Amino acid sequence: MKWVEVEFQGKTVRVPAVKHQGKLWFHWQGETHVVETSVTRRSGGEKGATHPGVLVAPMPGKITQVRVSKDDLVKKGQALVVMEAMKMEYTLEADRDGKVTEVNAKLGAQVALSEVLVRIGEASAE
Amino acid sequence: MARPRRFEKLAIANRGEVAVRIIRAAQELGIQTVLLHSSVDEKSAAYRLADETVCIGEAPSALSYLNIEANIQGALSAGCEAVHPGFGFLSENADFAEKVAEAGMIFVGPTPENIRLFGDKISAKAHVEKSGGPTIPGYRGSDQSIERLLQECEQIGYPVICKAAAGGGGRGLKVIRNKFDAPELVKSAQREAQSAFGSSVVFLEKYLESAKHIEVQVFGDVSGRVTPLFERECSVQRRHQKIIEEALSPSLDDELRAQVNHVARDLCERAGYQGAGTVEFLLQDNKFYFMEVNTRLQVEHPVTELVLGIDLVKAQLITAMGQPLHWPKQFQPRGHAIECRLYAEEPYKGGIPSTGRLLAAEWPQGPGRRFEVGFEPGDDITANYDPMIAKVIVWDETRIRAIQKMKRVLSETVVFGVRTNIPLLQKILSHDEFLSGTMTTRFFEAHFNKGLEAPEYSRGEQQLINMLNSKLGAVDTVGPASSPWSHSWGRR
Repeated sequence: MKWVEVEFQGKTVRVPAVKHQGKLWFHWQGETHVVETSVTRRSGGEKGATHPGVLVAPMPGKITQVRVSKDDLVKKGQALVVMEAMKMEYTLEADRDGKVTEVNAKLGAQVALSEVLVRIGEASAE
Repeated sequence: MARPRRFEKLAIANRGEVAVRIIRAAQELGIQTVLLHSSVDEKSAAYRLADETVCIGEAPSALSYLNIEANIQGALSAGCEAVHPGFGFLSENADFAEKVAEAGMIFVGPTPENIRLFGDKISAKAHVEKSGGPTIPGYRGSDQSIERLLQECEQIGYPVICKAAAGGGGRGLKVIRNKFDAPELVKSAQREAQSAFGSSVVFLEKYLESAKHIEVQVFGDVSGRVTPLFERECSVQRRHQKIIEEALSPSLDDELRAQVNHVARDLCERAGYQGAGTVEFLLQDNKFYFMEVNTRLQVEHPVTELVLGIDLVKAQLITAMGQPLHWPKQFQPRGHAIECRLYAEEPYKGGIPSTGRLLAAEWPQGPGRRFEVGFEPGDDITANYDPMIAKVIVWDETRIRAIQKMKRVLSETVVFGVRTNIPLLQKILSHDEFLSGTMTTRFFEAHFNKGLEAPEYSRGEQQLINMLNSKLGAVDTVGPASSPWSHSWGRR
């Protein structure tokens, strides 16, 4: 284990810590933490889509079902894509009502973390 | 067919921590080990530890760990005389057990007949009923008239669950709580079953809504005697996946304990059961209901080993060699053991899988602490296989001390590179219902279904992060080439 010595609140503390691919991993007060090195917040919290209407892979894995096509109208909460990783299945749902403008998810394809799978545009008023 | 006999070379048809567990037991008995592995598992603890290795196929399980022919050819090519299937994969596949024997090797496990009898839910239940064991009361008859179904509901006793015979996934599934609601709910289940599955046939079963998961470890030795090895409780489950197991159960008095151990032994002995097995029950209102028999070693076998002072994997190997076990006639369990399964998952994103390279790991050793680990720093945890990366097992004199020890051990455990469920385990271990030992199989969904909220960092912690950041600099401090502790990396 690699230990890093830092001054913390007037004391010298030794903290197990490593940096790898833009992430800082450290163990502090009984818990392992990981932070993006540019941002000081815990990794986690936000799920799936980072921007409204943009559905990204929340984990690396395999696409096992694509239940939506371009131009489909979808409702918030509707199941769009099913993924599998580590023998577990995850269903990705629409985060808003709208019209599908892009489907990148292909049946059987392996996808990387944060790959954009589906884009949902505003439902256009006819 | 291969009869039990001494063997000198064993194939391990598995991976991860259980492969390490089996290799160690075999090596200690002076048996040579051959790991049958997939193409991506060269970077793993089992690969480094095994005396020999044979690659049997590509990463997807169907092409390697689940491929019967590839496993048998791999074992034969290395001159193995026996095969240990571990758990999962082919461990409960009767055809595999049979083909291993046909190839002249010994299958370390129960007979193909044992596996077939208990692998089929209907024949297993019939066997238990014939042995006078307790099964969940139900009705699976062909008379589907509403009068008959209502009569059966009364007979079973409410609450009753009514489900589509052809179905699954919750459709055509109704919980009936009293006789007033029964007619409408049964008819509605029939309609839903008809529209979802094209058949209106429904089954009735007693609905157990606050049951505990209790299982009895059994072992059938070469003399044909089946020894019941006390129970484990595994009520902490998420979507039927066990998370925390313990031995013994905090919920049984001596009478219930004697009863469930007797039932488990009896139904296995009647089946001529050989080797390690587990009889699973649900316990509600001081009544046991048979669920199933797992005809293999279980993930949670270490908790039984710690309270009884035995080695189940060695017992399996010795029995497969046709040798007697030198166990006491009467076991006296000592203290309390708890196992936590470490899953590679995002604790603050509802437990979705976390994959990556293991950068560093610290398993804090000490008395009564046991770690079963399949990966070392530098190894990759991929999306191909099960997310369980390690098991942490503790023993102490009492249950509460074992819980305290587990919390301390988990707080000292460091895993860098993939996220783990340790924060979730800590919350469970501190929960009143777990501490009191009253948890049921609904415990997890009742209290933890929403997942954990990511806590915010305090100002002080942010300062610490900034200091660590500047101290470590912008460059990766770990990596295959430049790592200051590269000696612990890669292959030997």
